[in-house]
Amino acid sequence: MWEAIGFYALAIFLIYFAFQTITVPNPIHSALYLVLTMVGLSAAFFNLGAQFIAGVQMIVYAGAVMVLFVMVLMLFDLKAEIRAFSQGLFSGGLKVMSAALLAGLAIGAANSSVAILDKPVEAARAPADVTRQLGLLLYTKYLFAFEALGLLLLVVAVGVVAVSRIRGGTHAQR
Amino acid sequence: MGTDAFEVGVNFAKMVAIFLMMVQIVPLLVWVERRGSAYIQNRFGPNRVGPLGLMQLLADAIKFLTKEEFIPERGYPFLFYLAPVVAMIPAALAFGAIPLSMPVNVEAFSMLGQHWGPYVFKFQSYEIGIGIVFVLGISSLAAFGVLLAGYGSNNKYALYGALRACAQTISYELAMGLAIVGVILLFNTFSFSEIVTAQSAPLNFAFLGHKVEWSVLPNWGIFYQPLGAVILFSAMFAEANRLPFDLPEAEGELVAGYHTEYAGFKFNMFFIGEYGHMLVASALMVIFYFGGYTVYPWLTPETAPKIMAPIAGLMGWSTTSTAVSLLGALLLHVVFLTKIVFFLWIFIWVRWTLPRFRYDQLMDLGWRKMLPWALLNTVVTAVIILVMRHPWGG
Repeated sequence: MWEAIGFYALAIFLIYFAFQTITVPNPIHSALYLVLTMVGLSAAFFNLGAQFIAGVQMIVYAGAVMVLFVMVLMLFDLKAEIRAFSQGLFSGGLKVMSAALLAGLAIGAANSSVAILDKPVEAARAPADVTRQLGLLLYTKYLFAFEALGLLLLVVAVGVVAVSRIRGGTHAQR
Repeated sequence: MGTDAFEVGVNFAKMVAIFLMMVQIVPLLVWVERRGSAYIQNRFGPNRVGPLGLMQLLADAIKFLTKEEFIPERGYPFLFYLAPVVAMIPAALAFGAIPLSMPVNVEAFSMLGQHWGPYVFKFQSYEIGIGIVFVLGISSLAAFGVLLAGYGSNNKYALYGALRACAQTISYELAMGLAIVGVILLFNTFSFSEIVTAQSAPLNFAFLGHKVEWSVLPNWGIFYQPLGAVILFSAMFAEANRLPFDLPEAEGELVAGYHTEYAGFKFNMFFIGEYGHMLVASALMVIFYFGGYTVYPWLTPETAPKIMAPIAGLMGWSTTSTAVSLLGALLLHVVFLTKIVFFLWIFIWVRWTLPRFRYDQLMDLGWRKMLPWALLNTVVTAVIILVMRHPWGG
């Protein structure tokens, strides 16, 4: 019973934080709510017994990515961007498209989670064992997808360096 | 938390005690820092209040508590109040997950007309299977305390300090994480207790599939990962915002950096966070590279109760197996604290010896020197372990 109470309390908080992330007008407050969402998500993973993924979620998303997000938001004056994204046909179209994408994701997640619930539950394993299995899966079955993602990140990194060198800024060459 | 009232009660008391221990170490460290810096710089330091100036801490605490409450007019009050709390929580949570001594075995006993079964109490607030990942994740959240302080104050100097702190934390976190990967590969576990257990043995390793044992030295991580130890310790200075990496609060440039607007106890909480980080960093160094709470062959979880049993008998204390186990754990705890104090002193020593880095030197060191060395350390460690543990002989 306690497990269920914990899960639903966490879920309510998570939904509230996620909702605040997209509705709060101040971009920094929105990013801070996203941090809370990430930490809550990590707690949810922990609750499900995926301790390693919970830890990685905390280190990578809450610790590194969100710190960078908040830092970049603090560095820039975002008034023009906020105006551009709160009115106009283009941003309206984007919003409709993202709403459709979200609805599709929600329906897909609901469908597949029902399919997962129908499967028999495997016995809980030791955390180190789960990590080992995760590593084995990543480097055998999903090796191609894993390497492709790594390549994608490399392309993004190179692209960022190229963009920062072309358009103004401290590292500009022309 | 536990299965019955006694276990829950003890576990709760343990959590409170360990948190208070972390908080209480801070004034002592401040005293050591001030007296130590005075010693290094040929001054006296605080020596007026009480013996050796020890009561200065109490005087400081009263001063902190009675200072004027101040909030910047244009700031964000909620974030302004939240920042010191967020700065303190990660250090406290991380310290709680670190084993401070061997577990205490409590035999079955009867109390209040009831039988209470045998227990095993870990000498830490809580044990999490993936201890190392948990501590890394929690410590990485500490940057938000600084960020919230800089943003909530709505002060340019504070914001500059916060931005510098974040850039620095992110840059050095990579090198720190990679240095720890070497330790995880070496001991093949995420659990602090298992790492310490592995180190309370003679130096042993697999050499081309054969097991080699060398009983002169203990099995400490420093003998396998000297480069990782140096990288981890330097990165810890940057993570704790200590000199020579204290650009976020560089007095000459930014007034006081992110805590410019903070006074009184709120400022004190940032202090507790910083010293808590030093404490966690020292504890990690001791556990990963210097044998944790054991000194093989003299003080290990096996020998500590045997040492304490005759002493307890001599002093007239009770010699039940519970009492001996508790005394042994306390002995090993003293060993652990001694090692931690040594590293804390190095933190203070370095602060009063080295000047502050320039910002480009800081970034250069983090990205161009420490990160490649840490990567090299990880790759070389992985390859060597793979080759050495492979059963070549069949």
